[in-house]
Parts: sequence; C-alpha cells; structure tokens
Amino acid sequence: MPTVPDHGPPRRTGLSRGVADALTRRPSRRSLLRGGAAALGAGALAPSLAACGSDPSISEDPDELVLWYWNRSASPILLDQAAEQIPGTSKHLRADVIGTSFDTKLRTSLAGNAYIPDITYINSNNALYFTNEDLFLDLGELGADAVRGDYFDWKWNLGMTPKGRFCFFPLDIGPTGYFFRQDVFEEAGLPTDPAEVGAAIATWESWIELGTELKGATGSFLMNDAQAVYEGFLNSSPERYFDTDDTPLYEKPDSAVRQAWDTAVAAIQAGITARIPRDRGTDQNAAWSSGRTAGQIGAAWWTQVLEESAPDTGGLWRIADQPVRAGNSGGSFAALPHTCKDPEAALAFVMWINSPENQAIAYDDVQLFPSTPGSFDSPKMAYDGDFYGDQNPLDFFSAAAETVPSSFISTWETVIGGSFSLEITNVETSGKDPEQAWDDAVAQAAKVLTKRGVEA
Amino acid sequence: MSTATAAPASPSAPEAASARRRRKVRERLPIYLAISPFYLLFAVFGLFPILFSIVLSFTDWDGMGDISFVGLAQYQFLLSDGRFWNAVGNTFIIWFLSTIPMLFFALVIAFLLHQNIRFTKVYRVAFFLPNVTSMVAMAIVFGSVFSDTFGLVNSALTALGLGSIPWLSTSWGIKVTIAIMVIWRFTGYNAIIYLAGLQSIPTDLYDAAKVDGANLRQVFTRVTVPMMRPIILFTVITSTIGGLSLFTEPQVLLGNSGGAGEAGMTIVLYQYNQAFTQFDFGYGSAIAWALFLIAAVFAIINWRLVSGRSDAADRTPRRKEARR
Repeated sequence: MPTVPDHGPPRRTGLSRGVADALTRRPSRRSLLRGGAAALGAGALAPSLAACGSDPSISEDPDELVLWYWNRSASPILLDQAAEQIPGTSKHLRADVIGTSFDTKLRTSLAGNAYIPDITYINSNNALYFTNEDLFLDLGELGADAVRGDYFDWKWNLGMTPKGRFCFFPLDIGPTGYFFRQDVFEEAGLPTDPAEVGAAIATWESWIELGTELKGATGSFLMNDAQAVYEGFLNSSPERYFDTDDTPLYEKPDSAVRQAWDTAVAAIQAGITARIPRDRGTDQNAAWSSGRTAGQIGAAWWTQVLEESAPDTGGLWRIADQPVRAGNSGGSFAALPHTCKDPEAALAFVMWINSPENQAIAYDDVQLFPSTPGSFDSPKMAYDGDFYGDQNPLDFFSAAAETVPSSFISTWETVIGGSFSLEITNVETSGKDPEQAWDDAVAQAAKVLTKRGVEA
Repeated sequence: MSTATAAPASPSAPEAASARRRRKVRERLPIYLAISPFYLLFAVFGLFPILFSIVLSFTDWDGMGDISFVGLAQYQFLLSDGRFWNAVGNTFIIWFLSTIPMLFFALVIAFLLHQNIRFTKVYRVAFFLPNVTSMVAMAIVFGSVFSDTFGLVNSALTALGLGSIPWLSTSWGIKVTIAIMVIWRFTGYNAIIYLAGLQSIPTDLYDAAKVDGANLRQVFTRVTVPMMRPIILFTVITSTIGGLSLFTEPQVLLGNSGGAGEAGMTIVLYQYNQAFTQFDFGYGSAIAWALFLIAAVFAIINWRLVSGRSDAADRTPRRKEARR
C-alpha cells in the first residue's frame, strides 16, 4: 500500500522517558547487543574509511547500488531481478527494507552525511524535502525527460520542486472516487448504477443533496467524517494552500481551501456525515460494515483497504465519479540522493522498475496502482475479485486518473494542514461555530508559518 | 641519620600509595570492562542525545538541512503557544484522573493479595498481565470497548437505560478513557510493588493489632499504610514521572493528532508531533526541556508533600511519649 509507512511505535529521545515507558519499551537485550555490535563495527570501520578520506559509505562494493524502500512499495519479483543485474547497466541492486519512521531515518542519514542510500523511495510527502532539494539530484539533467510522455502529467509535476528541478520520479498514484453501498442506495430509492450516481453527484451541492435524501430515507450517512469531505474536495482541486512561491492562498476570498471548508461545513450542517473522526478507525469500519455510513471518497488503494476492513460487505460496493473531478491521494516517488554512487545506473533502475510493463507487474504482485497510462493495456492488469460486483475498479480508476488536475503541494502544507483538519473536526464533533473555527485555523496557521520563517 | 633514612621514606610513601592504587585499578579492570558496555552505549545513545537536545532547543532545524541558532525564540514561542499549554493541562488532568485511583486500587489489591487466600499466585499473575500486554492490541480493544456508536460500554449503558456517552469525541470522555487505560495497565504493577513492601512489614505488628482487637479496616489504615509510606512515596514519584511523560496510550488510541479538539494531546505526544511529524527539532527539544522543568518542579513538590507528612507522622508519637 502506498500510504504513509509510519505507523509503528515511534521512538523519542531518552530525556523525558518515564517509568511507564522504561518498563515497556526498554530495548531488549538482543537489540542492545545488536547496537553494541553495530557500534563496534562502526568503530572498526572508521580508521579504514578515514584512511581513504571518504564519508562512511553504505556499500563498499563499487558495483552495488543500495535502495531504501518500505514493504509493498516495490515488487519483490522486480527487485530480485535487479539484484542480479540492473537491466542495461553493469550494476546490481541491494534493496533494504526500512521499517517504520522512514522519513526520520532518511533525514538522519542525510544530516549525518553517512550511510546514505544510492536510491530512495519517498512517500507522497515528498514536498517535505523541497527545502533541502539540493540534497537530491535533478533527474531531468540526467535524462529522465525522455520517458516523461509515459506518465500522467499531473503526477510528473508533483515530482518537480518549486525551483523547477525534477527530483522525484513517479512510482504509484492514488486517483480518487466516491465509493458507495449500492444496497443502501437502492433501499433509499436513489440511483444505484455507478454512472447514474456519478451523474447525480456532478457538483458538490448535488452530492450533499443526495446525501440529505439518503439520510431521510434510510438514516444512513453519506460520509464518516467532515475531514474526508474537506480533503476530498482539496485533493481534486488544481489550487491548494500555497502557490509555487510558498505564498499562502487560503486567506483569499473564494480560495480553494475556503471552498473545501465551506463544502465540509455544508455537509456537517446537512447532517450527512456520521461524525466519526479519522482517529477512530474501528468505529469507521463498523459504520461501513453495518451500512450506517454508505460511502467514502477513497483512492485506488482504498479498494484493498475496504475489502480487508469490511469483508462481509463483498459485492455491495460500487464506485462513482466524485463531484466535479477526480483527485489524488497518496502515491510515492523515487529520488537519488546527492551522494549517489552512479546516478546514470541509478536512474536506469528507477526508469526500468517504473516502466509501463513493470508497473503492470508490480500491480499484479503488490497492487501498486500504475502512474503510467500504458500499463493498463497489459494483460497483467486484471482485477478478479467480485467485491465491487460487476464493476471493475481498475477500469474506473484508470479513467479517473486521466481527470486528476495538476496541482502544487508545498513543503508547508504538512505544517499548517493539521490546523484546518483539527478545526473542521471541532465544528463537526463539538458544534464549534464554523466562522470562529476558520479564524482559529487561519490564525494558528499564520502563527506556525511565522515561527518557521515563512511569510504569511 | 634519622633524617637520611626519613628523607627517602617520605617520597616513597605516596609512591607506594599510588602503586597500590594502580594495582587496585588493574585488579578491578575486568570489572570496569564488564560494566563499560552499558556506560559506552549510554554515552552514545543516552547522554549525547540529551546534551544535544539542549543545543537543539536554541536552534531551528528541520532534521537534515542547516542548523541555525535562534537564541531563546523557541522558548518564547512555547510560552505563547496555546497548543502547548493545552497539552500541559491535558497531561495534568489525565495524571490526576489516573494516578489517585490507580494507587488506591493497587494498595487495596496488594493488601488483599497479602492475605492468606487460595491461588494468590494466580491472582498476582492476573493482576500483572495488563502491564505486559501489547499496547497496540490494547488500544484496539479499548477503542472498541469505548466506541461511541458501537462500543461495549455504551451498549451496556443503553441497555441499563442510562444513555450512551460520547467517550472518544468529547474532551472529558477522551481524558477519562485514557486514564482508564493507564489505571488498567499500571494498577497491577504498583500492586506488586506494594505487595513486596507489605511482605517486609513484620508480622508481629499485625499480631499485636489483632490482639488489640483491630478489624481489617483498622489494620489497613493504622498499620499497613503508615509502614508503607516510603514505598507509597516511591510509587507516587514514579507515577508522576510516568504520568507527565504519558505518550503511548493517547498515541495508539487517538493517533498523532491527539483526538477531537486535541483533548488527548499530552506534552510528550506534542513533542513527538513537533519533532517527528513536523520535523521541527528545535521546538521539539524546547518542549522536552520544558517538560523536564515541569517534572523537576513536581518531583520536588511531591517529595516535600509526602516526606513532610511522614515527618509529621514520626513526630506525633514522639510528642505523645514526651507528654507521658
């Protein structure tokens, strides 16, 4: 799954470690031994490296390129092939699975200028690296543009830094649609055919109207939480929080952020959200399983999530075009750190593993949704489940991916986005006045941006 | 003559002493070597990060780019940061809601386990089990039990005609749920500590109390509790430190955002959030040191309160004796 790999128990510095913590998360003896062995190993290596006058390198083998990735972000079949030899080069690949806290580990190696991988995967939060883009090579200069035509344009653009350097190569994508429970819609006397539902919810206003009808007829909700409405809107908008100069846009009247906010507030006020916030996953799943909530704006990768979290509802779900146009949620990138041993060979690997044919293999193997329209012609691209009845989610999302708009995601979205989702949740769950909540979100965002040195 | 013999003797005395010291060091070298791995690892993974976080708290650093010094700006921001003070408030409320019932129940359980009842070992294991249960599994269970719409607790309340409580979407509900998780997890642990303390109380005190006709409640309040004071002090301090650094429970139950309205955002969760999801290491470090100061102040207050009371308790019988 291409979503954030960072779900494991996090680490923190030792200084505030309390008794409660020391009791449960004291490192095991084995991990201490391992740490000790690593320290000794590093100590033994240090003199030999100092003699060469180079930084601690991740691999001593000049023909070996090291890739950092996380589980299910690459097809093991293809990695095995590259481990023999990267096609078209004389190099071979060593793929290291980096577990939780991927970003922290990558940052640590970059900050310490030691043990940096030659190739690294980066999640959909690649914008976090824009402020340090000099640490990554411009793949455009290395000749990546030759394959640009193979990829969805909007995805390729997401890999561009504000300075116009192409540092992040497309892996998978997450085009979105509106998932709905066909049986509940039928009970409510609403359209049930995906195409008809899509036509009935062509605008956000008509979508909310349909939700009101659904609520009136069956008591079911259109969505679980308002934050999903807000993000569903914003992810399908060409404009987001900032322009490419990192100037905030959300304070302008009629900005996309404000429209997304107003849409989410309208959904709350119409009573079509179940008021179950994102952090309560168990409740959200129960709502979808029971039909209490009859839908969700979800990305292509959500098809598997839903199959796993609501297995009893197989055959009842369908996917319709979401209002206005499809958006994108999630999807990863590959980047070459500045220390990359052999940038040509590394780029050759990235272009090879993400070619249309190989992305089809990766879909077949680990369900990564391809960023190359050409992949969908492959016989490997097949969905054989019946969770979505006679509808093929692959056909749906490959068509949806064509309509995703190009947009710019700023470094600072991660810093301020939380203020807006927190406040929209406050409006939803505690009945906070929407205008007050908006003002608070904007004020909090301005405060944090000033602190981080961004002109708000 | 005597000076001639004394003269070489005086420098040889310290020489002999230093030789003895050297020999001692040499003799103890294996011991130092044997304990050195811990100190070396502690220096690298404990001491250095602690010292470095002091430096970081005066800088602005995103974890990989240039480190720039900003003086006291992080601390200034901290003082005016409503989210930080919300986290401080939450932490204290949850600490208060959890520690007092937890220690009370622990003492009662330990007292009962100390009695001559059957299967005490089974009970001891049972009470300690929550402490070694996987936190993630626990959070899922608690999330389901306290779920607003589909939870076990609310089903029971509704069945009793009491109406359901929005545990996980209201400020107080979230805090109470986290406090219950803490109580559930650490009551058994504290009970085992208390039990060890109880076993060190001489049995003749109990016998004497029985001879004097004390009932179970009187034995508990007049013999057990006073004798247990130092152990209670220990558990109060450890629970305070544990409570102030509360992190795992809210994180696994509510995620990095601390739940609706940040009602479950604790100081350490906020610190983690700033340092490891916002990659604002300077501010994260400043929060950590602010927590350190708060914890230090509380340790002192705690110590003064509990030890002050025990001094007073020690004094009272003496005064009575004097009167006699």
